[in-house]
Amino acid sequence: MEEVPRVPGETVKAVAKDVMYLCPFTGAVSGTLTVTDYKLYFKSLERDPPFVLDVNLGVISRVETISMQIGENNRGIEIVCKDMRNPRFAYKEEQSKLEIFETLTKHAFPLSNNLPLFAFLYKETFPEDGWKVYDPVAEYKRQGLPNESWTISKINSNFEVCDTYPAMLVVPTSIKDEELRKVASFRAKHRIPVLSWIHPESQATIVRCSQPLVGPSDRRCKEDERYLQTILDANAQSHKLTIFDARQSSVADTNKAKDGGYESESFYPNVELNFLEIPNIHVMRESLRKLREVVYPSIDEAHWLSGVDSTHWLEYIRLLLAGAVRVADKLECGKTSVVVHCSDGWDRTAQLTSLAMLMLDSYYRTLRGFQVLLEKEWISFGHRFAARLGHGDENHANSERSPLFVQFVDCVWQMTRQFPSAFEFNELFLITILDHLYSCLFGTFLYNSEQEREVHSKTVSLWSYVNNHTEDFTNPFYVNYENHVIYPVASLRHLELWVSYYVRWNPRMRPQMPVHQNLKELLVLRTELQKKVEELQRDVASSRSVSSSSDHGPSPSHTSTPLYTTV
Amino acid sequence: MLSMRPLKPTFKSYLPPLQTDVNKTVQPPIKKLEAKLLPGEIVVNEVNFVRKCIGVDSSQDDLWGKLICTNFKVSFSTHDTLPQQKFQYTNRLLGEHDIPLACVEQVVTVNDAKGKQKVLGSNKKLKFNPMELIIYCKDFRIVRFRFDEAGPESAKKVCLAIAHYSHPADPQLLFGFEFAGKRHHSSTVNGIDPGVGPQTPLFDRPSDWDREIKRTGASEWRVCSINEGYAISPSLPEYFVVPVSLADQDLKQYSGFFTGQRLPLWCWNHPNGSALVRMASIKDPMQQRKLDQRICTAITKSHPKRSDVLKSDLDKTLPNIQDIQAAFVRLRQICVIEPFEETEERWLSSVEGSRWLEYVRTFLKHAAEVVYMLEGQHASVVLQEEEDRDLNCVISSLVLIMLDPHYRSRLGFQGLVQREWVMAGHRFLDRCNHLKKNDREESPLFLLFLNCVWQLMNQYPTAFEFTETYLTVLSDSMWIPIFTTFLFNSSRQHAEHCREFAQSKNITLGEGKTLCFPTVWDWDQQFSRKDQALFNSPLYVGKGTSCIHSGTVKTFKRTKKTYSSTLRGLNSLPNGMLTELDTFPRRNSLAQRLRPDFSVVREAPESPSERFFREWLSRPTDPHGLLLPQLLPSHLRLWRLYFLRWVPEAQISRGGPIMAFHRLSLLADEIESLQAQLRHCSSVGTPPGSTTNPPSSESGRMYFKAHSPDDLPSPPEYLTSSFPFSPVGNLCRRNILGTPLSKFLSGAKIWLSTETLANETL
Repeated sequence: MEEVPRVPGETVKAVAKDVMYLCPFTGAVSGTLTVTDYKLYFKSLERDPPFVLDVNLGVISRVETISMQIGENNRGIEIVCKDMRNPRFAYKEEQSKLEIFETLTKHAFPLSNNLPLFAFLYKETFPEDGWKVYDPVAEYKRQGLPNESWTISKINSNFEVCDTYPAMLVVPTSIKDEELRKVASFRAKHRIPVLSWIHPESQATIVRCSQPLVGPSDRRCKEDERYLQTILDANAQSHKLTIFDARQSSVADTNKAKDGGYESESFYPNVELNFLEIPNIHVMRESLRKLREVVYPSIDEAHWLSGVDSTHWLEYIRLLLAGAVRVADKLECGKTSVVVHCSDGWDRTAQLTSLAMLMLDSYYRTLRGFQVLLEKEWISFGHRFAARLGHGDENHANSERSPLFVQFVDCVWQMTRQFPSAFEFNELFLITILDHLYSCLFGTFLYNSEQEREVHSKTVSLWSYVNNHTEDFTNPFYVNYENHVIYPVASLRHLELWVSYYVRWNPRMRPQMPVHQNLKELLVLRTELQKKVEELQRDVASSRSVSSSSDHGPSPSHTSTPLYTTV
Repeated sequence: MLSMRPLKPTFKSYLPPLQTDVNKTVQPPIKKLEAKLLPGEIVVNEVNFVRKCIGVDSSQDDLWGKLICTNFKVSFSTHDTLPQQKFQYTNRLLGEHDIPLACVEQVVTVNDAKGKQKVLGSNKKLKFNPMELIIYCKDFRIVRFRFDEAGPESAKKVCLAIAHYSHPADPQLLFGFEFAGKRHHSSTVNGIDPGVGPQTPLFDRPSDWDREIKRTGASEWRVCSINEGYAISPSLPEYFVVPVSLADQDLKQYSGFFTGQRLPLWCWNHPNGSALVRMASIKDPMQQRKLDQRICTAITKSHPKRSDVLKSDLDKTLPNIQDIQAAFVRLRQICVIEPFEETEERWLSSVEGSRWLEYVRTFLKHAAEVVYMLEGQHASVVLQEEEDRDLNCVISSLVLIMLDPHYRSRLGFQGLVQREWVMAGHRFLDRCNHLKKNDREESPLFLLFLNCVWQLMNQYPTAFEFTETYLTVLSDSMWIPIFTTFLFNSSRQHAEHCREFAQSKNITLGEGKTLCFPTVWDWDQQFSRKDQALFNSPLYVGKGTSCIHSGTVKTFKRTKKTYSSTLRGLNSLPNGMLTELDTFPRRNSLAQRLRPDFSVVREAPESPSERFFREWLSRPTDPHGLLLPQLLPSHLRLWRLYFLRWVPEAQISRGGPIMAFHRLSLLADEIESLQAQLRHCSSVGTPPGSTTNPPSSESGRMYFKAHSPDDLPSPPEYLTSSFPFSPVGNLCRRNILGTPLSKFLSGAKIWLSTETLANETL
């Protein structure tokens, strides 16, 4: 029998013949289904070229039996995936078939079955170690840190102060460790305000944290108040500090009643508090669920736009981008430091700070810089990837799950659409990240926090793979403009549904001829022409040197139009 | 208030230097504000100390100046300069603040103190002194003037004059006549010598048609001149093409049975011999069958394989002109009239509700089906419409653009519009409603056509020589009543009005001569050569370019190899330069494995045309072969440059597709200069660059020129998603309720979600 293509470390667990795949686009087809510990692989030779369906197990959210009767096939199974598709299979009730779906369920949810995630079995090696992409000290140094106002603190090196924060934190120089601990006890999950980014000119900063534990009785914490004042003082350009609370104000009030809350402007002098009114993770999950109904398997052509509208997905994208623009604008134009928090400071906060940083700092718009941004703002600062994605866990209804990271990447994609030459990476890069968000092939997105994440030696980083294929992920339009701040327009007039991600399974929705491909052709053409010009020059120069002692030497003029882009 | 502002001598001519020769005397810095007038243009009324509104919430950026109404335009003359960015191109006929009267859609006067406002028409009375004038323009601009400091009586007079002169009672009052008359008197012809470069064929003479017949190999078709002097039909051109088997005598006899005496018109021949023909309906039911039969037989006889004739009845399948107008009005409402914030919330649903995109799709789809009949079924097609003057224009020109790459070059496209719209008798005068007489006749069919072309261009950017800026500027030119192109219902009407006008003005026209009306295709009238470079797409690598550069239009022979869609292959790009970079990612790369499976397979019930489309779409596209539109709703987009260019809130600073265009232009320019170097040294035999005259980049096609790599630190400040247009001062909505319109803060307006889940806390 023909072997299925496998990645190193992958083993076949079960094979069954005469399984029918019910393709929503092209109709039913019979073939062989193979389940490995990494993927399910269906191949049918009924069609030419052979029909192949390849679904990695990490993407499976739930497996359900459905009743059906198609010819001999009396059993049906639906595989609901996190990436917007749900393939269905039909089969005849036989031992081998029952077994293969049992195997599938077992390996699709390894953690529920006391099995390791596939990332720990994956044996691929890459020339570069992606785990080394992010070095906090180097990144802070790039930002000009430490400086006289900010220091890199080791107080959390054993994750004692905050178990969901990274070991290395940037805090105001003048704050003592004792005070930091007091502040930690006043902030939800001990997530104290720490620096994420500093403006190279104005020294205005983006600071992130969780909500203060004010509670219904309006508790105060002198250290916390002084701490924010110190952050304000560190920036000489402004006499204000702006706090952006990502939540809806009503929800913040509810939180206050439950011991959380927000900074009172009367206790924190010179502080201005703004609510960004972004709904919580449950709203976002529901919105994506609705979006799936609109885009898969078939679309309602006549009501496509209103269908998308009804999911509110783009509306939330708009809210997020608008919030991030306000943060970035405060820093860039207002030269004012900002503090961003939501409730715990690991969901909406990460979305907002990282989007604002993308707008402000062109380094994060490079292929490498974006990796650093994710490693820093999302992975090291404890976005709860394991909980939000539910890797290897069969409990699909867990209310902790939510597509916050997908939403963030969507926002990034929207920015790349509005600024086609501002990003070094392309759409395929973003889609690849989202695919491996679920795949469990790499260790990058597996855990909730840096403390949990002792994966460096045991798994491969996604960046090892990415940085070994950089040309696939490079945007040919990219121009590295210096100090280029970009403000996307957060308006539905410009936001679009990311069809090539959400609707990519529908072959009819195939996107049109991409312009960047034409650009690549032109780049090749230019290289070719440059070569020809050079050749001619050489020919002419050599023939001249033979025929006469010419007074013009080999002309340097072609250097006036050399490559200033990477092909 | 006005005296506080320093008056700067920034007076600037909007006209080509040739015309200003008259005032050769060097003038001292002018203190007085004057309108810049064209030949034949006269000032009707004017008022000083007028404020042009720029900002919505504050008046600090507003401009002070003089508002002038002439017989051609509403002009605002100011010494102040606009804050922020300006137009990136200059129209030689119009100043930055000018609005041609033909572009005025509605004139509204307001007196806030009295809480009154009134829409002004022709010869209307105004019972209050206007404090404010709002001009709604056909090109979607909304311009506001305040008269707080102006003389109330003169303000009123100007408002009434604008209202009156924007409602001309007779076509001959359209400014083009005065302009052409004056130009006729002055011996020198304004502008550039028309002899230079290839000209757009106007299809007003047999030779233009002969060339088309030859170019498409339509040997069984002939030019027919029975309508010379409009003897047969008032709306047909004097020359058109018919099957050789139909004699003039027969045609004369048949013509009476057709609506408007419009005999069938040949449009185009496919290399396989099938022809596209457009036809009005046959009035007389008694004759219908017989006549139909005769026409079809004649068309069949002209087909080398005697293929059948298929009919496509457009009235039955397409929306009518009122539907289209209604969709357009709804779209304008949400794009520019309604407050930005309020339309934001349900934007997609509102766009869908306007039905504009749906109609764009319907027309594209219909055209694609006709393409299938010609290309896939090898059959000749007759497009049938009651009058053959509206829907047929859209469909026939779309079909031709899809089938024949010639029409995707600029010259080819212009010839196409000239032929299928202007000469075919599209009622531009009525559809544009230039006389504002009959609103029921108004319909933006031509704009709908441009929208369809834009969709194709958006899907296949390498296939078109021109850009979306070109399409936008072309549509704006409809509202400059100087060009014959968009002024008349038929070429006969054009000729008659010209004759009458000449008589009334005692202009003696020579034998066979008409008034010297320019066509819109003479772009030098409007733009400098540099600005015209904005029309050139950097992605177009057309064989058409060589045609154009050589200076003459050759009868180009179409070889099977480059044309046939079946040979659309990877090596169809010039020099075989198409690489496998994108289409075939490297083997064993994970990226490839993670891509969706696009394995194409048979779908159970599929019509032959669907199959034709699917198979075509599954092959790589040859930009110089057949083009078919992708028609799923996700493939069709709102034409943002056109519809949103004036909306300040929707403008992306240093962003938008222009950034990619900019990047591509630099590259294309560089490639052109390299090619020039190559040509140069292969002909001269000297090393490139060592000669005294290296190929100058001035001659390049691109608006953006490649510079040395050193000066690239930041993207050009002026590039925005509206480029080359600017919203500044061009869209001042007014909230009737009196509350500030825009609470828009850095793109962030927040509304409460209706989601119930919001109460769950986290």
